[in-house]
Amino acid sequence: MPTRRPAAALALAVGLVVIAGGTAGLLLTRHSTPAMRPVAAGVAALPAPTGPIVAPPQSAAPKPVASPVLLTIPLIGVQTQLVTLGLTAAGELQVPSSTSVAGWYTGSPRPGAIGSAVIVGHIDSLSGPGVFYRLSELAAGDKIYVKRADGTLVEFRVTSIQTYLKDRFPTEDVYGPVPDPELRLITCGGAFDAATGHYLSNIVVYATAVS
Amino acid sequence: MNSWGAYRKLFMLGATSALLLGIPAAATAHASSATAGTGWIRLAHLSPNTPAVDVYLYSFGNSNAMIVLHHVAYGTVSPYESVQAGDYSVAMRAAGASASSQPVLSTSVTIAAGHAYTVAGMGPESGLRLQVLEDELTTPPGQARVRVIQASLKQQVVNVTLGSTVLASNLKFANVTSYQTVSPGTETVTVSSSGGNAKSSVTLAAGTVHTLVVLDGASGLEVVNLEDASGSGKPPLGGVSTGFGGTVPHGPGSPVPWLVAIGAGSLLALTGGLRLRRGRQLHAGV
Repeated sequence: MPTRRPAAALALAVGLVVIAGGTAGLLLTRHSTPAMRPVAAGVAALPAPTGPIVAPPQSAAPKPVASPVLLTIPLIGVQTQLVTLGLTAAGELQVPSSTSVAGWYTGSPRPGAIGSAVIVGHIDSLSGPGVFYRLSELAAGDKIYVKRADGTLVEFRVTSIQTYLKDRFPTEDVYGPVPDPELRLITCGGAFDAATGHYLSNIVVYATAVS
Repeated sequence: MNSWGAYRKLFMLGATSALLLGIPAAATAHASSATAGTGWIRLAHLSPNTPAVDVYLYSFGNSNAMIVLHHVAYGTVSPYESVQAGDYSVAMRAAGASASSQPVLSTSVTIAAGHAYTVAGMGPESGLRLQVLEDELTTPPGQARVRVIQASLKQQVVNVTLGSTVLASNLKFANVTSYQTVSPGTETVTVSSSGGNAKSSVTLAAGTVHTLVVLDGASGLEVVNLEDASGSGKPPLGGVSTGFGGTVPHGPGSPVPWLVAIGAGSLLALTGGLRLRRGRQLHAGV
């Protein structure tokens, strides 16, 4: 039956193409795409910023400190302008509109004044690392600098770094009153929930001003 | 004798304030520093007729002082120092006295992780004692907390109001009130006594804890507003959304659709191949 021959040949050809395509697809999906990595660690280390370092305030009649404008974390190559952040209508903390800058929560004390100052930055954008991508590399004793609008500088040292599930965020520890000048740096971390597009945890770096 | 007296007072003060607040003292612990195992201490001179002193802080059993504050005069309150939780002793010597000389006064203080303390020289010089006060580190959301230390010897009994809120009534010299919750804002503090009044404007921001100290001034009374602790007046709710997942490694996708495609392709190719072969055989047969 000669009429059947072209149909059979076509079926054979299509079948072979589908096999090839399926095999290629299978092989490709066996390789997971690696996480985007920022530039090598050695390149990113920054020099400490310069400026008059102002001692922490006395508890009696403390001098008001100026607004924070620049954050530098030499060890992980962070140097960023600080935007100002408030609360959303739902009462949650605003985040910077750009993933490459950090922001200071204006409802928290100013960095270097008595109390727990709060600075927030993104770990990543949709396509790559954010300003706080390497925050989790910090450890106790590492230095953090905040420059203020009047040119003065306050130096902090990391005291601890914690990871909290967002639905068990320790509000009192992070935002509650403390009796000395402290800093909290907040970003995301832990598992990423692709269904909601959010990380499940927050990473919080606790630091205290150096006197 | 002296240190024992102070210790007993401390115990009684602690017990009283815990009763008044109706909560265990541990409720004010600050967990972040508790994790790090540190607490805070500050030192104060609040005895009006006692000359300046040198104040020493020792880790218990260690004769080398951790901190020495020189020439601490009446009305001085140091900043808080962050220290490892544990037992410490505080000693006062006359200003300029040798560090190895016998202290005028000493007391021991146990610093719990996440807690803050004020150790103050209180009372008249003749009955000077070192009192250990536990300082508060929490506020209700959007509120401030404030207490009063009465350190005026000239006016031994005072009443203190903040706007229309009574902070202390008939508070005697060398006594301390419990903290109380007040609305945040700038208000007038009025200290009244049989010998006269003093007014002062104080700002108590939301999320801050304060101690108002009534002192003998050069003329009349003075009020010093100490900021004991500060946090976010309006703590944000929940966690923070600071990531979009662009650096998350993507795991291997499911192989099933590809395996199905290979299977279907094989079936198709096999069927086509067999038909072709059968067709050839039929031709050959004819």
